[in-house]
Amino acid sequence: MNRTIVLIKDTAGTGDATREAHAQWVKKLRDAGLDGTVQAVRAADLGIYNAGMAVKILPEGPCYVNVRSEDIDRIIETTLKQGTVIEELTRHTVVEQVRIVLRNCGKVDPENIDDYLGVGGYQGLSRCLFDLTPEQVIEEVKASGLRGRGGAGYPCWLKWSLARKAFGDEKYIVCNADEGDPGAYMDRSVLEGDPYAIIEGMTIIAYAVGAKKGMFYIRAEYPLAIKRIQLAIDKAYGVGLLGEKILGSEFSFDCEIRLGAGAFVCGEETALIASIEGRRGTPRPRPPYPSDYGLWGKPTVINNVETMANVSYLLLNGPGDFARMGTEKSKGTKVFALTGGVRNSGLVEIPMGTTLRSIVEGLGGGSADGKPIKAIQTGGPSGGMIPAEHFDTPVSYEHLQALGSIMGSGGMIALTENDCMVDIAKFYLGFCVDESCGKCSPCRIGGFQMLLLLEKIADGKGSQEDITSIRRLAVAMQKASLCGLGQSAPNPVLSTLQYFMKEIEEHVVEKKCRAGKCTSLLQYVINPQACKRCRLCVVNCPVNAITGDRQVGYTVGQNVCIKCGKCYEVCKFEAVDRR
Amino acid sequence: MVRATINGITVTVPEGTSILDAARKVQIRIPTLCKHPDLPATAACGICIVKIAGSNKMLRSCCTPLEQDMAVTTHDPEIVDIRRSVIELILSRHPNECLTCGRNQNCELQRLAADFGIRAESFASSVPDLPSDSSTGAIVLEPRKCISCGRCIDVCQRMQNVWALSMLERGIDTRMSPAGDIQLAESPCVHCGQCSAHCPVGAIIEHDETGIVWEQLRDKNRYCIVQIAPAVRVALGEAFGFESGALVTGKLYAALRRMGFKAVFDTNFGADVTIVEEATEFVKRFTTAPETLPLITSCCPAWVDFMEKFYPDMVSHFSSCKSPHQIVGVLAKTYFARKRRIDQASMFMVSIMPCTAKKHEVKRSKEMFASGVQDIDVSITTRELARMIKQAGIDFKNLPDEEPDHMLGEYSGAGTIFGVTGGVMEAALRTAYDYITGGKLKNVDFENVRGLSGVKEGTVQVNEHSVKVAVAHGLSNVESVLAEVRQARAEGRETPFHFIEVMACPGGCVGGGGQPYGITDETRRLRGEGLYLDDREKPIRYSHENPSVKALYAEFLKDPGGKQSHKLLHTTYKPIPEYKR
Amino acid sequence: MEKLTRELLKKNSRESTGRAAGSYVKVGMSSCGIAAGAQKIFDLLKEEIGRAHPEVAVERCGCNGLCYAEPLVEVSIEGVPPVLYGQVTPDIAHRIVEEHLGDRRLLNDHIYAMAVKGTSAP
Repeated sequence: MNRTIVLIKDTAGTGDATREAHAQWVKKLRDAGLDGTVQAVRAADLGIYNAGMAVKILPEGPCYVNVRSEDIDRIIETTLKQGTVIEELTRHTVVEQVRIVLRNCGKVDPENIDDYLGVGGYQGLSRCLFDLTPEQVIEEVKASGLRGRGGAGYPCWLKWSLARKAFGDEKYIVCNADEGDPGAYMDRSVLEGDPYAIIEGMTIIAYAVGAKKGMFYIRAEYPLAIKRIQLAIDKAYGVGLLGEKILGSEFSFDCEIRLGAGAFVCGEETALIASIEGRRGTPRPRPPYPSDYGLWGKPTVINNVETMANVSYLLLNGPGDFARMGTEKSKGTKVFALTGGVRNSGLVEIPMGTTLRSIVEGLGGGSADGKPIKAIQTGGPSGGMIPAEHFDTPVSYEHLQALGSIMGSGGMIALTENDCMVDIAKFYLGFCVDESCGKCSPCRIGGFQMLLLLEKIADGKGSQEDITSIRRLAVAMQKASLCGLGQSAPNPVLSTLQYFMKEIEEHVVEKKCRAGKCTSLLQYVINPQACKRCRLCVVNCPVNAITGDRQVGYTVGQNVCIKCGKCYEVCKFEAVDRR
Repeated sequence: MVRATINGITVTVPEGTSILDAARKVQIRIPTLCKHPDLPATAACGICIVKIAGSNKMLRSCCTPLEQDMAVTTHDPEIVDIRRSVIELILSRHPNECLTCGRNQNCELQRLAADFGIRAESFASSVPDLPSDSSTGAIVLEPRKCISCGRCIDVCQRMQNVWALSMLERGIDTRMSPAGDIQLAESPCVHCGQCSAHCPVGAIIEHDETGIVWEQLRDKNRYCIVQIAPAVRVALGEAFGFESGALVTGKLYAALRRMGFKAVFDTNFGADVTIVEEATEFVKRFTTAPETLPLITSCCPAWVDFMEKFYPDMVSHFSSCKSPHQIVGVLAKTYFARKRRIDQASMFMVSIMPCTAKKHEVKRSKEMFASGVQDIDVSITTRELARMIKQAGIDFKNLPDEEPDHMLGEYSGAGTIFGVTGGVMEAALRTAYDYITGGKLKNVDFENVRGLSGVKEGTVQVNEHSVKVAVAHGLSNVESVLAEVRQARAEGRETPFHFIEVMACPGGCVGGGGQPYGITDETRRLRGEGLYLDDREKPIRYSHENPSVKALYAEFLKDPGGKQSHKLLHTTYKPIPEYKR
Repeated sequence: MEKLTRELLKKNSRESTGRAAGSYVKVGMSSCGIAAGAQKIFDLLKEEIGRAHPEVAVERCGCNGLCYAEPLVEVSIEGVPPVLYGQVTPDIAHRIVEEHLGDRRLLNDHIYAMAVKGTSAP
């Protein structure tokens, strides 16, 4: 007997409304005699927000929003009994994920090759090997408009054509799985969740370019990804999907894993090559480009995990659907790791052109604690902060760049009033300074000096001259750094200067941090009216900063105070103010 | 060919020419710091950046090839401002100690800061607190002055194939250090000093021993004597306004006497003795024990160190002959001392060398004490001597020429070419030919072992024998030569070379680690030409015909390769570990 | 193992291995899931379902992106639409076995859904 399920969730408020509605549904279903075949169930989260009471009918049923108690009977009659959809209850403006890269994640067992084969796996490669020439493969990818998903957004077809034309028989394909942006883990999920899709994609690229060897450069901090990819490689060899004469064709391809060793900079092409070659992981100048002179001097194509996962899809289904999505210059979908102050953090894959607001509010559920989201950070340490007034910008390479940010690899962080923009800029710059390889002076010393200035500002010791110096350093780093790390390290800082000057000036002039993050600017002050003179704070202060007596009252000595917040924590009467 | 414009000026250059080099052709000097003509561009410092029309990026001109129809701008206010920022950043990380630094007035960073008119330090000074390393007694590392240009690493790894130096850590903590963060003396370092010769600042300096020399010169009871190496006479002049390669030999002798040395000798005399010994050794091996060939020269202490560490199985091929200055040293404290009745204990022998490795060589083994005391007390570099001459108030440029003390100072043309790559080989062949055939060579100039190619090969007909020789300079060029020798041995064939000369420093000693700063192939060539001129102008061009040498053997040593020679002039070699940890 | 050829590959695809057809319980077992405690849930489900409902396959899958709701368990049994349970504790896992698999009654307050094109989204 087949069940119908009615999922109920109040998308705006608390569990109480959901419970009430659920109780009504249970009663009404019983009254209608449907309680044997239809179960009303309270859902935890339906992925719909700010749409009143939502009701989703399974299987394959419609999803209604703003459902009132009066509508229940109508739904039972019209939809449940007659199978007709009620138009005015249907949600029309909706943001949906389109799962291409993540198509199999959550569906297949990543350690079972049969699962992957069962969903059409390797049919794309088969088509390439037997029905298409390498040039035709490149043409199809060109038609799709696929751009490198690692952050640079370089047209894939062009990179592969150049490598194909490059002189020599020995060519390499490298999958860049170094994923170093803080907060980005899209690649990790695909490596762990759908490893064969990536291997198939790499094999297709190898065929198109004329390479016989491929490598996965996986950061050592991803042990599960390494394990699953290695397992997948072994199984693929076992059934002849890697190695000699794949699927009985004339094409042979070998693949192995190389590990990273804790260097963000090794996600940069030329530093990655140096790392695989056993040298110090520092970039080298380009030209020559890796497509001409890469790994061990041979033509090499380096592509990101997400790019390769797209490739196996494209050659299975053709470029049409992909090319129809997106904006003029950015086609297809993009996976974002949505984190920060949103209710639902996780991975979302959306067509290019979807607005930031749709993603953060429509899919992310908006702010987790109700405080407005004041900025969205994209592109990791190379990106920028986008303020609320630009949240209706469509997500694409060109639009984000125009706003002073970048698409990057897909990190998307929602920042609320609890976040201090100076602190965030300091965090990202600190990351770049930590990860700088140290080869070139503008990045090595420039980043360090810029960080000193930001720390000065966060400590309340900053000045206008410091801001001028920061701008000067930013120009030097952008123009004179050897690689993308140094060139883009100033971006988060510049972006903060552009859109959040107010917060910076508050730190510099008023010596205030409105989010309360910059501890040097915090002051803990005892409110004499609320204070009950219990001395709990005095006793708990680790540096004995609180002085006074029971008659006169107690005060926090600001020059002794180390801003640890213990007094604020222990006071039972909320008599300590934090400003 | 490629045609493009730089600052509006049209320039045509071969394909692959860097923008930096192309700009020079039209008299545009783009400032650089980390780039060195000897080394491929590392693109580290970021000062040579230029603009290309059609892009808002700036590219490094040292490593970007000029392309057809490129429109390059090398200087405009924005570019200059960014360069200034980069220099100031480097200065913020560099100690402000010019006045007490070994590179004061001779420092590439100082020059840049001066050219750019840096008058204020805009960025907070943050100099790393790193200890200096003087463990080798020959080369001193001062990592706090390092600007991370990477030249020394490139030189030690690629040019010299020693791999003693490396960059450690990353980001702002990047520092130059012996690989493995050990002391330099524990590393494979062979003390060739090429790192210090290429360092743009004072981060790697020769171990200054001028203080010791001054102290001894002051002591009335000390009998101070000195010798100068061949390569010194064509380079020291550079510190006093002479061109590279100018022969200032006579002035050197004069200056040294004025400084207070009681006898002024010449290492070239020792070179002549070396040839007599080594040619004898070669003839003996060639005619009676060919399986012991090739014979490999051993006058370069960095090379000796290198072979003992990296090719210990080949040390039996070394000539057992000491290096020329050691020979002069031991003879000074025996032959000379006895003849002039000087108390050996009062003698203090200083050798002026283009070399930092000699500082290590003088205490290398007990054989360097063959006279009964330390044969050479101190070896100082050309650079140190230049400073001493200035301190002594000598107007070097206008000194009258003087002669050396002839007993250990007279030299032949063959002796003087020891200072240039191929010179030892030429000198040895001249004498060996005579020893074997009894006759003189028609042409004493062996052009095919001259020049700056990394490995030079040649064949000399000596009667019915074809003597095959190879000359290598720069330690990375040794591997292929020795590989050929090993290969032949493994396959049971005759050795491909009978006689091999190796000099650790590219160009030979004229390009030594202790020579005046600013080494390029042009300098090497000019200094070498100076020595070849010295050779041509000498009346005697064969080491064994040097009358002072003849007298030495007649009166003191008796037979070349004989008992007395072996006791004083020969040494032994043994494998040593690459790492002393 | 037999090497695949084009023909064999097509066959594998068509047959679709029959895995999707039957009843299954899938547990998200990528880093996010494991960090949230999915291994324990997986082991528990494998044990209990193995005993009580051996016809239901207990499998692992990757991260579907609903990371804030890990550990995630997808349940699909004959005649009941598949649903995704999130923030699954051992207690909820136990109740899934008893109520969902046993009584064909879905659990309240633990179901999660995503807005994905191509599914029955609005």
